[in-house]
Amino acid sequence: MLTYVVRRLLYGVLTFFGITIAIFVLVHSVPGDPISFYIGTHGAQSLSRPVLDEIRHAHHLDESLIRQYGWWLRGIMTLDFGNSFIDHQPVTERIAEKLPNTFILNVIAFLVAALIGVPLGLWSAARSGQPIERASAVTSFLLYSLPSFWVALLLMQLFSVRLNVLPLFGMTSDDYLDLGATMKLVDRAKHLILPVVTLAYAQLAVFARFSKSALTEVIRQDYITTARAKGATSGAVLWHHAFRNALIPLITLFGLTLPYLISGTVIVEQIFQWDGIGRLYFDAILARDYPTVLGLSVATAVATLFASLFTDLLYAAADPRIRLEAR
Amino acid sequence: MSEPAGGMWAITWRRYRRSKLAVMALLYVGVVSLIALSAPLIASSSKSSLIGFGPDDVNVVNRLHPPDQQHRLGTDELGRDVLARMIHGARVSLTVGLLATAMALVVGSFLGAIAGYYGGAADWLLSRLIEVVLCFPLLFLSLAIVAFFGPSIWTIMIALGLTTWTSEARYVRGEFLRIREMEFAYAARASGARDSRIIFRHLLPNALAPVLVSASFGVAYAILTESALSFLGLGVPLPTATWGSILASAKTYIEYAWWLVVFPGVAIFLTVAAFNIIGDRFRDALDPRSN
Repeated sequence: MLTYVVRRLLYGVLTFFGITIAIFVLVHSVPGDPISFYIGTHGAQSLSRPVLDEIRHAHHLDESLIRQYGWWLRGIMTLDFGNSFIDHQPVTERIAEKLPNTFILNVIAFLVAALIGVPLGLWSAARSGQPIERASAVTSFLLYSLPSFWVALLLMQLFSVRLNVLPLFGMTSDDYLDLGATMKLVDRAKHLILPVVTLAYAQLAVFARFSKSALTEVIRQDYITTARAKGATSGAVLWHHAFRNALIPLITLFGLTLPYLISGTVIVEQIFQWDGIGRLYFDAILARDYPTVLGLSVATAVATLFASLFTDLLYAAADPRIRLEAR
Repeated sequence: MSEPAGGMWAITWRRYRRSKLAVMALLYVGVVSLIALSAPLIASSSKSSLIGFGPDDVNVVNRLHPPDQQHRLGTDELGRDVLARMIHGARVSLTVGLLATAMALVVGSFLGAIAGYYGGAADWLLSRLIEVVLCFPLLFLSLAIVAFFGPSIWTIMIALGLTTWTSEARYVRGEFLRIREMEFAYAARASGARDSRIIFRHLLPNALAPVLVSASFGVAYAILTESALSFLGLGVPLPTATWGSILASAKTYIEYAWWLVVFPGVAIFLTVAAFNIIGDRFRDALDPRSN
């Protein structure tokens, strides 16, 4: 186990360098000098040569690419992504400020998707061959073929425009500050419903499909046939032998979910004007606020890296074959 | 499994067509492709065209008009015919979907083939590379590429192709590990063929079937992402009609223009679903374990 853990962590470090190099190369292959965009956003069209050189020097832009990468990497290690071009706040602070909003949204969406999707998938796999299995397979397919921005628009049209029971967008109502404590909570919950549904339905379908195929795979195994042959009731076979083994592959899925959730937040936060990191990223891209874009790209990729490291280790702990095979 | 004899493709097709839904999906894709190909003929400004309107025929007097005899699917905020715009939007969606997937297929197959054939260092390197790519939230990365290099149909295809090749690479690699030890591979080697010839002429054609499954899902994903980018305003630049950009304007007029919301959404949904269903059924049809 220890060899496996050490090796996996070393690969994690390699992946981290891979991520930073990929982002660095991507940004530096963009035509144009970051400084000219920076100056463009501040109205000063013509700066004297010495001033430009001074700015370049301050940002290490007069050094070789390798050294620039070194400076940037050093910043990342100390969680210093520089200051935003827009409001000159440290990027780390801007991210930290918006992160809780995104976090709430995603955790709730994830829980809704997992708590409905996984039992649904297991249930339909246990009814293999019956029409209900086929129907649920088709439904989950159709669910994740639905474009989330369209679902969001339909939900808004139905619940906010026609029925007028849920707010169209935002995180709180205009009169939020005048509300009592209970009403504040209700107000927040009401604003959460549509974004959560928009984020959760596709994940729910993925969870259902994945857990269904995991259980179907387990049911095909010889030890299930053996258990049946020994006369165990089908309920006992499913409960004691199949479910537990089917849940192991789900660990990987939960790890892989993070990048999808993050991608989803860009769209959802944009549509519902939710003040989180997805919207921060989108606004930064439109404004060519390089430090913020770079910071968020690194932060989300590294978060995903940690999630996948964590799930791999958990998986190895749950399934001894993994760590033995990987020797 | 009492199936009549036949080549792999014949067997696969016989199994594929057992699903009515999957056959319908294939027909749907065929029809949409035909419509996309003939868009300039059926939806142009000339009165002799089937629709009678081009995608860019502005008529501000008739703006945001609900569906009627003249404009079957209504008009948008500039009075343009929604049906005509959707027919032209099909061209964008299918072109981006197919070309982005083709790109992912070429990059993924090439890297997967090299890694699977040579193993060792090449294989190790590919695995590390895939790990890096998988760490990026794909929409984040595509947004950045498209925004920084300038939105166009080409940057979108390149952004999608560069971020989605990993599943194709893994499939091809897996297939290569399996078939490189088969007799026909040894025979090719014994006959003195060069590595490149063995890889691309002998092994790759035999490794492609599972990759096509992933390509079908890839087209669905690419169409979905292109429409999301267009919806966010970073897709194919205006005034080119795309399904996503019609939905973007629908957002502004959500309070009354329901037709702007419903029709382009249905088009995206059906097309994405069709490619997903085709991929799913095709995978089942290839799998000897399933019936």
